[in-house]
Amino acid sequence: MIAIEELSKSWAAGPVLRDVSLVVKEGDVTALVGPSGGGKSTLLRCLNGLELFDAGTISIAGHRLAEGGHPPALLERLRRDVGLVFQQFNLFPNMSVLENVALAPRSVARLPAEEARSRALALLERVGLGSFAAARPVTLSGGQQQRVAIARALAMQPRVMLFDEPTSALDPAMSAEVLDVIGDLARGGQTMLIVTHDHGFARRAANRVVELVAGRVVRQGSAADLLE
Amino acid sequence: MTARLLLPLAPVIVFVLAAAPAATAELDEVVARGEFIWAADQEGGGPHVFPDPERPERLTGFEVELAALIAAELGVKPRFQQGQWDRLPLLLGRAADCVINGIELLPERRRDYHCSRPYFAYSLQLLARRDGPLDAFEKLAAPGPGGRWRVGVLTGSAAEIFMRSQADLEVDVIGYDGTIDSLEQVTSHVLDAAVMDDCIFNFYADRFAALRVVGRPFAGGLYTILTPRDTPRLSAAIDDALGRIIADGRLKSLYDRWDLAGRQQILALRDAAEIPPAGRRSLRQLAGEVLPLLLKSAGMTLLLSISAFPLAILIGLAIAIGRLHGPPILRPLLAGYVEVLRGTPLMLQLYAIFFLLPKVGLALPAIVAALAGLALNYSAYEAEIYRAGLKAVPPGQFEAALSLGMTKWQALRHVIVPQAVRLVMPPVTNDFIALFKDTSVCSVITVVELTKRYSVLALSTGRIVELAIVTALLYLAMSWPLALLSRWFEGQSEKHS
Ligand SMILES: Nc1ncnc2c1ncn2[C@@H]1O[C@H](COP(=O)(O)OP(=O)(O)OP(=O)(O)O)[C@@H](O)[C@H]1O
Ligand SMILES: [Mg+2]
Repeated sequence: MIAIEELSKSWAAGPVLRDVSLVVKEGDVTALVGPSGGGKSTLLRCLNGLELFDAGTISIAGHRLAEGGHPPALLERLRRDVGLVFQQFNLFPNMSVLENVALAPRSVARLPAEEARSRALALLERVGLGSFAAARPVTLSGGQQQRVAIARALAMQPRVMLFDEPTSALDPAMSAEVLDVIGDLARGGQTMLIVTHDHGFARRAANRVVELVAGRVVRQGSAADLLE
Repeated sequence: MTARLLLPLAPVIVFVLAAAPAATAELDEVVARGEFIWAADQEGGGPHVFPDPERPERLTGFEVELAALIAAELGVKPRFQQGQWDRLPLLLGRAADCVINGIELLPERRRDYHCSRPYFAYSLQLLARRDGPLDAFEKLAAPGPGGRWRVGVLTGSAAEIFMRSQADLEVDVIGYDGTIDSLEQVTSHVLDAAVMDDCIFNFYADRFAALRVVGRPFAGGLYTILTPRDTPRLSAAIDDALGRIIADGRLKSLYDRWDLAGRQQILALRDAAEIPPAGRRSLRQLAGEVLPLLLKSAGMTLLLSISAFPLAILIGLAIAIGRLHGPPILRPLLAGYVEVLRGTPLMLQLYAIFFLLPKVGLALPAIVAALAGLALNYSAYEAEIYRAGLKAVPPGQFEAALSLGMTKWQALRHVIVPQAVRLVMPPVTNDFIALFKDTSVCSVITVVELTKRYSVLALSTGRIVELAIVTALLYLAMSWPLALLSRWFEGQSEKHS
């Protein structure tokens, strides 16, 4: 589902990814761990074309990215198949919760309004927020907002979900409700790559772990082995 | 996408296409149209052309009657066209067939226009306060008690040209747009003196009882009718008409009726004994006549602002988006557009649209030119506001929209622009109020809106203060709701941040 080969990228300050290679198979839940500044977020952003890279190739959900600029049409197709959940949720404050989730099915997948709406409602039910459909995002707690963000990404029925520290902006109680949702997705067979500092969660939800230190993959293997 | 960017410009394009090209009207066209359009400035225009004190919506003056006589000779009806006095010749061939408005016969005018045979002889007069130190023209040759003498003239008049040519006088010459602005300024001690045509001061002498004529009239000259150089048959017909009007004594009796022939006697009388100022009409009488005119012009002010501002917003938003997200080759052009329009005065832009575009074949009606000028000028300011607003939306919003598979334009339309528009609501509403007041600048291109109507009526009725208060109240009545709206938006955006 994801195959990264010898990916390298530098900022002006120096290299941030060095010859990163890794594979995520269909149905895998992979935890990406490592110290702060190791390049985890940068790698995730390269995977859906928010960042460019200098060398190597990415193959994800049937799309191929190479170094240099990517054509906009390719990125648009790729991103429909790759959901991304941000640390800071990034919900659209100018819309209701339901509109946040229904926007992409409506404007990108071009579903009829009614269908987009019912798909969005079903997803909100699934993350336990059916009753908040009409609310504005600012009125929700952090945990609720992140669950809406997950529903929003799922609304395009992506083949792969990418999570960048989905709970690090949340307190433990709110983290738990978000992690429950992600755990449900894992059991449902969703392919996922999750950046996290929470080893307990990684052990429970992930079957594979990749550790990135200073832009290099230093260890990868089964979650059971690496996180004893 | 180009179509979407161009869409807001559509009204402008329609205006441009609908505009008739400039054409000068020859005699046969004037006759065919049945109307003889003559231009003049009614502001402070006595005794030439001014609103009838009895009926302010009607014009009167010896030139109104002269124009009627000439039109009758041509077998057509006269029609008046308002214009700023020093820019009247620019209306020739566009909005007017000729200019009849105390235009002095000068070599420069002979060069640029056709000048008819003269129809009136004037002299220049120096006017000063009765209680002031200036009691002889010769005194101007040495500095006065306050240094160089400050003397006001009408911009573009023979008085201005004459005074500026007197290098040996200790005089600073200041030009005014309105004929009798300088008299006001002498009365209020801003100026030491004014110089103007004798017939004008004679007409307003009662109004300015604190002023007197200093010395003998000097540097006389002749009034002429201006026509474009490329309408020889119209010019000849006007000359013939004048010839007949002079020969059979109609001009003489017209001037007798306007008391212009006996002006020397009247002056002698004035100097011998103080004449009390003429009685003014009661405010109640005035209200019935003046208020409808002011309300009508307030409507023009409102119309200009509520049609120009939405256009300015649409153009500004399109430019802001283009500068941040458009094709790179377009960006410096858009930046140039913004800088040029922000860096030059609105008045100049209006002037260019109305007076210069016709020279390249694009003659816009005054209201359309005013709308276009206001919309273009304000679009530059709105573009800058929207650019700041677009940049103030957190980058995570754009990334979140893109990561859902939206195109750049979908992300802008659904996510970024709605947030930016809400963010900048308070400054944009503020600009609406500013534009609303800036509509008064449109009077330079002959649009009579509230401020212009005020100054015309104030000068013709002498009720400067009373009408100023009424006019200010009208402006407030219109802008107050806007101010409330702006405050409401401010509250809204605070709530959401
Ligand atoms: N836009 C950028 N421009 C320049 N340097 C950047 C940029 N984004 C990240 N970096 C740098 O790249 C390095 C890797 O950052 P990245 O955010 O990928 O690390 P991370 O592993 O996600 O860390 P964390 O656990 O703190 O989120 C850091 O040194 C960071 O300062
Ligand atoms: Mg990170």
